[in-house]
Amino acid sequence: MTVTISMSADKTGIKSQNKLRKKMRGDSLVPYLFISPFLIFFLGLFLGPAFYSLYLSFFRYAGYGASTWVGLGNYLAVLEYPVFWTEIWNTVFYWFAHAVPMMVVAFGLAVLVNSKLVRFKNIFKPLIFMPQIIATVVAALVFQNFFGTQYGILNRILGTEIPWLTDMNLARWVIVALLIWRGLGYWFVIFLAGLTSINPEVMEAATIDGVSVWQRLAYVTIPLMRSSLLFAFVVDGIVTMRLFAEPNVLVGKAGALASVEVAPVVNLVIENIRSARFGMAAATGWSLFILIAAISWFQFRLFQQEEDK
Amino acid sequence: MTASIRKLSESNSKPRWSNIVSKVLTYLVLIGVGILSIYPMIIMVINSFKSDQEMYVNPAGLPIRWTLESYGKIFQYHNGLWINLINAIIISLISTVVAVFLCAMAAYAFAKYRFWGRNALFALLLATFMIPPEIIIPGQYILFARLHWINTLQIQILPTITPVLGLFFIRQYMIGIPNEILEAARVDGAGHFETFIKIMLPVSSPVLGAYAILQFLSVWNAYTWPVLVATKAAVQPIMVVLPQMVDPIVGFLPVWGTIMAGATLATLPILIVFIVFQDKFMSSVVVGAVKE
Repeated sequence: MTVTISMSADKTGIKSQNKLRKKMRGDSLVPYLFISPFLIFFLGLFLGPAFYSLYLSFFRYAGYGASTWVGLGNYLAVLEYPVFWTEIWNTVFYWFAHAVPMMVVAFGLAVLVNSKLVRFKNIFKPLIFMPQIIATVVAALVFQNFFGTQYGILNRILGTEIPWLTDMNLARWVIVALLIWRGLGYWFVIFLAGLTSINPEVMEAATIDGVSVWQRLAYVTIPLMRSSLLFAFVVDGIVTMRLFAEPNVLVGKAGALASVEVAPVVNLVIENIRSARFGMAAATGWSLFILIAAISWFQFRLFQQEEDK
Repeated sequence: MTASIRKLSESNSKPRWSNIVSKVLTYLVLIGVGILSIYPMIIMVINSFKSDQEMYVNPAGLPIRWTLESYGKIFQYHNGLWINLINAIIISLISTVVAVFLCAMAAYAFAKYRFWGRNALFALLLATFMIPPEIIIPGQYILFARLHWINTLQIQILPTITPVLGLFFIRQYMIGIPNEILEAARVDGAGHFETFIKIMLPVSSPVLGAYAILQFLSVWNAYTWPVLVATKAAVQPIMVVLPQMVDPIVGFLPVWGTIMAGATLATLPILIVFIVFQDKFMSSVVVGAVKE
């Protein structure tokens, strides 16, 4: 969600504000006073700790006593640590495995709800969106109850004892199901907003020309929505890199972290802090940042290409 | 022109069999998805009316014995799960009020004043969007540990009170507010802060409300940071406690009845607010995401 915001709207309204500004110029300290509370907290609680994390990543530090300069040692240790790669791979797996089907279904549902076939849009829209407002932890717990081996709802209905959450090869797919369930409504509403912004006359022109529903979808709707779809996929990737609650609450037992086989990469940051390896935790975090920056860069390039077209 | 086109296209689509079939299929798909969407919530509520013991025997069906026993247990678990519910409410409410106020104040300056460094500062703030909060955790943890704030409520509130998204979101709205309104107030002799409180805040209330919803939900939902820094029951929010609730005697078995009762209590207020303000909810999500 975050990276998309461009500065294009900045220019609006500047001219009309000149008049007011002339009047206000006398008190040149005033705007700084308005900004300072936000800025002071932002520097103290966000940017300061961010730079401190960067600084820490070059030291061995246990939270007390002296810290030892290790240069790039922490980063090398992270890169050589097989668990880091397992968890990176898990996280990327969660991104692709849930985002692709979720985007397709969310888009399909948006097309359906937006079509002339459907009345009661005001019922279906909030209904499909609703899982989004359920807290992640609550959703993960309900899924845990549903997919439990001995006391699970699904196994009880089927009369089986399939180890949905204890066999990690199955568990990773349950995590994917949870991600799809909770995320679907969000993207559905966003795609629906995009679809309603398509000029209806374009659609009507296509209808008049005797174009079938499928052709309209393939030649009008999807090309117009192409960039939104790509954008959604990449933004979802950035959010997925920060995944933590879903796999751990769903698969981890009684609030413990999930086993490495299904763990996302943020787990490594948390584990390092809990064992007081702050330098390692910071280095892991910044490695994650590099990954996110790479995805964002990819997104940026993609959009340049889209705009060139 | 468009009216005649509409008539034409309507006359084209007389009820044909293919049309009826696709209509039925469409509704079937939508109803199916709708059921999948609310089914987990339904089992959550239904299972909250079973006892913990019944959940081991009958997890799937309707309660054999409808009981409020699990809700009663909420008041007994640890020192009472209601403490954790109240913690979550305190944390989310304070965070929302403070964050919206700080963002609105800064947004007002960025939107309506010209000052040295304005654009550079704003660009810099936006650039920090790229930094995922998770990587700051080691730095934040040490900072708060030095202040001896581990296991407090403020450690869960403070890192959430300066959301750059909120600043951006509110500033975009404020730019669109006509200056004449502000000028009138200034002419009447209102001070800068007075103008902000008495004119700007009320006029911006739609965007403040929309952002407040986003902020409240994101703090209510938080897990990564609270699970790390709140390890004592007295300061934990409900989201941290719920996954840890196990049978006090056996040790590892989740007490599903009590968990579902707690989950229902943690969900119901938000669900009600959502049903009442659904359009506002959904549009604030969309604006938060696709505003360009």
